[in-house]
Amino acid sequence: MASIIPAATTKRPTLSKKTREALLAYGMLSPALLALIFFTLIPVLIGFMISLASFRVIFREWVGFDNYANALAPDSDMWSSLGATITYSFISVPVQLGLALLLAMVLYQKLRGRAIFRVVMFLPYITSTVASAAVWARLFSPDAGLINAIIKSLGGTPLKWLLEDKGIFTLIGQAAGIPLPSWLTGPSLAMVAVIIYTTWVFVGYDTTIFLGGLGNIPNEMYEAAKIDGAGNWQLFKNITWPLLSPTTFFLSLVTIIGTFKAFNHIWVMTQGRNGTNTAAILTYRQMYEFQRAGYASALAFLLFTVILGITIFQQWYGSRRVNY
Amino acid sequence: MSLKKFLPIAAAASMLLAACQPAAAPATAVPATAKPAAPAATAVPAATTAAPAATAVPATAVPATKPAAGPNPPKTVADVDAIKLSKDNPTTVLFWHRYTGATYSSVIEIVNDFNTKNPYGITVKLENAGASYDDVFNKVNGAIAANAALPDLVIAYQNQAATYRDLGKAIDLKPFLDSKTYGLTADDLKDYYQSFLDSDKAPQFPGEVLGFPTQRSMDSLYVNLDMLKAAGYSAPPKTLKEFEEMACKATDKAKEQYGFIWRGDASNFASFVFANGGQILKSDASAYDFNSAAGVEALSMLQRLFKNGCAVELPSSERNGDQTRFANGKLLFVTSSQAGLPFYADAVAKGAKVKWTITRFPQADNAKPATNLFGASWSVLKTTPEKELAAWLFMKFFGEKDNTTKFSNISGYFPVRQSAAAGVVAATKADKRFTDYPEAAAGFQSLFTDAMPYGKIEAPIAGYDPVRALINDMVVAVAVKGQGDPKAALDAAVTKANQILKENAPKNK
Repeated sequence: MASIIPAATTKRPTLSKKTREALLAYGMLSPALLALIFFTLIPVLIGFMISLASFRVIFREWVGFDNYANALAPDSDMWSSLGATITYSFISVPVQLGLALLLAMVLYQKLRGRAIFRVVMFLPYITSTVASAAVWARLFSPDAGLINAIIKSLGGTPLKWLLEDKGIFTLIGQAAGIPLPSWLTGPSLAMVAVIIYTTWVFVGYDTTIFLGGLGNIPNEMYEAAKIDGAGNWQLFKNITWPLLSPTTFFLSLVTIIGTFKAFNHIWVMTQGRNGTNTAAILTYRQMYEFQRAGYASALAFLLFTVILGITIFQQWYGSRRVNY
Repeated sequence: MSLKKFLPIAAAASMLLAACQPAAAPATAVPATAKPAAPAATAVPAATTAAPAATAVPATAVPATKPAAGPNPPKTVADVDAIKLSKDNPTTVLFWHRYTGATYSSVIEIVNDFNTKNPYGITVKLENAGASYDDVFNKVNGAIAANAALPDLVIAYQNQAATYRDLGKAIDLKPFLDSKTYGLTADDLKDYYQSFLDSDKAPQFPGEVLGFPTQRSMDSLYVNLDMLKAAGYSAPPKTLKEFEEMACKATDKAKEQYGFIWRGDASNFASFVFANGGQILKSDASAYDFNSAAGVEALSMLQRLFKNGCAVELPSSERNGDQTRFANGKLLFVTSSQAGLPFYADAVAKGAKVKWTITRFPQADNAKPATNLFGASWSVLKTTPEKELAAWLFMKFFGEKDNTTKFSNISGYFPVRQSAAAGVVAATKADKRFTDYPEAAAGFQSLFTDAMPYGKIEAPIAGYDPVRALINDMVVAVAVKGQGDPKAALDAAVTKANQILKENAPKNK
């Protein structure tokens, strides 16, 4: 008769609950983690190594931090392109967010057809950037564009738009017969045209996010304030604006990062000419026009550093001002 | 794998990912439709050299020919003559091109013909490598950086071919051209336009020929004859002085009519420099030379045209805007490649139906004319001597009289042989698109005698592309926007261009 082996002798050693949970968690994380390592971290590391080399189609030689030194030299193109990037960002972000907030406030009211308005406003955001930028470039065409045709029909002087490198204030000053000093020239008209396009594309997205933020503000707070006699401005100033601050903070964060990385539409509209040679455009031209992969990589890392600095500052500032 | 080897491969992979290049179109297999008479079997000596480099022939390719014993690439005529090809050991040639539409159809037709008729067992396969020459260039560079499969034959401008040569990929075709067995005969050489053949000589690699001309075009002057007549002139300008005068007289801003358009093309500036008796690059490629008196005059004239309101700038976003505006009767002159002739004909027929013609680029001194010759060549990349020879034999076939005629008639490029000129001119005159515009067909005919013999090439050297961008930026700043002095701007641009020249100096001579 076969003997019965006691169960206790065959029992496999078991892992603690904590270990099993950890293993499960790492197992679940591993696909995304591997993708992150192979498709983000390793390329970033390789990019950094390229930035330390002379790399023209193929590796030529190690040059240490020469590419960074060249990029940071006083006569480097990077400074002007960084200036263009900051101009683009610091004008387009407040304009975009301000307009989006205004539209969100309007569309939050019970208006007829507001669903249609919301859809229409969101359409530019989901349209191909290259296609819509090409259409806008055509609209801005000095001779064949619709915008100048309208200006002319209204008796105005047509503008050169994307071909104009003169500052917007200089042009206004010229039109008014007031000469302005060079430091007051303002962004080029081409940059203004690009900002108009950027606003058109992203305002729908920003409005949608603001609408979500407005929906999260409890109605009771407005009712209580109204009972206490608060007017519309006081309601906005003391309830809407503070309680919308997490949304505003999120949007300003992603919009500033987006403007620093912006490439497609600027390339289609101006190819970086007439005061629109932003850091992303400069990096692309160095990479593909000049075949300077090492220098282009150094520029990319410097741009990354700037974005990181601004983001850290925003986080610090936001933590003091945002009401969660 | 050492870090030094890993780095470029990994970098190229990430660059390619970042560039989001579309997937390569599948190679177009062009099967032979009939078997030509088999040549006598030739013995192929056993390979003693290193295994051939990886080639881009797809997995379905026919078996590769055994490598020859000679050097790769062949260095002498004897090396080339020693290579044997036969139908018993078929060879496949993969060709990266950028042809589309009717031009592509004409290429396919010639390829089919070659695959059918050649007695060497060569099969040419076509693969579209991009929409533009830059696309093809970036794709080849990406493949070189990644150590990935390369084509055997690639379409390339002369400066791009010089880059491939510096990277150790493009081979010298001179031994093939001179080969007793496979090269061009004395009659062939007499028949080919010499300036076309000369344009593939690489000054950075003395004595080497890095491409073969299968197509050429020339910067020419398109003229709206109706506008010209309205301005009080009966014939297109012969001199630059007449050109400037006519451009200004024909301008009517109220009607948005201009004499000339600047479309951001450095080649246009080069044409004006040539027409003034100058050059872009010194003949020994030691330095850029467009800040000469000829360059100053070219830039000054462009500056005057804009200052006097006789010219307009074309936005980069307005694709083919010069052609469209010309066709709509808004431009007196456009300086552009004569290869655009069929497209201009179509555009005018759909547009204002103005009377128009094409003529030689106006000159400062018609006793010493110089015109800007352009057009990409085909370059052979280093694979195996057999494939290199096979690629050469295909190019040679493509350049035969009937084939260059066929290709020119469809594409608008010049034929590469003088014996083909009459046929191409006759076909153009007979083309129904020119029935109502005989002046245009006659103008095209005149280019063969008036312009073709005086062709000069801009800068067939590595690193010319960024210099082109530099030149365009300079012309826009100085001429279009009127900022700065032409001589000072040219000197500054040449200084920068020479830095780029130094940076791109071949390491692999």
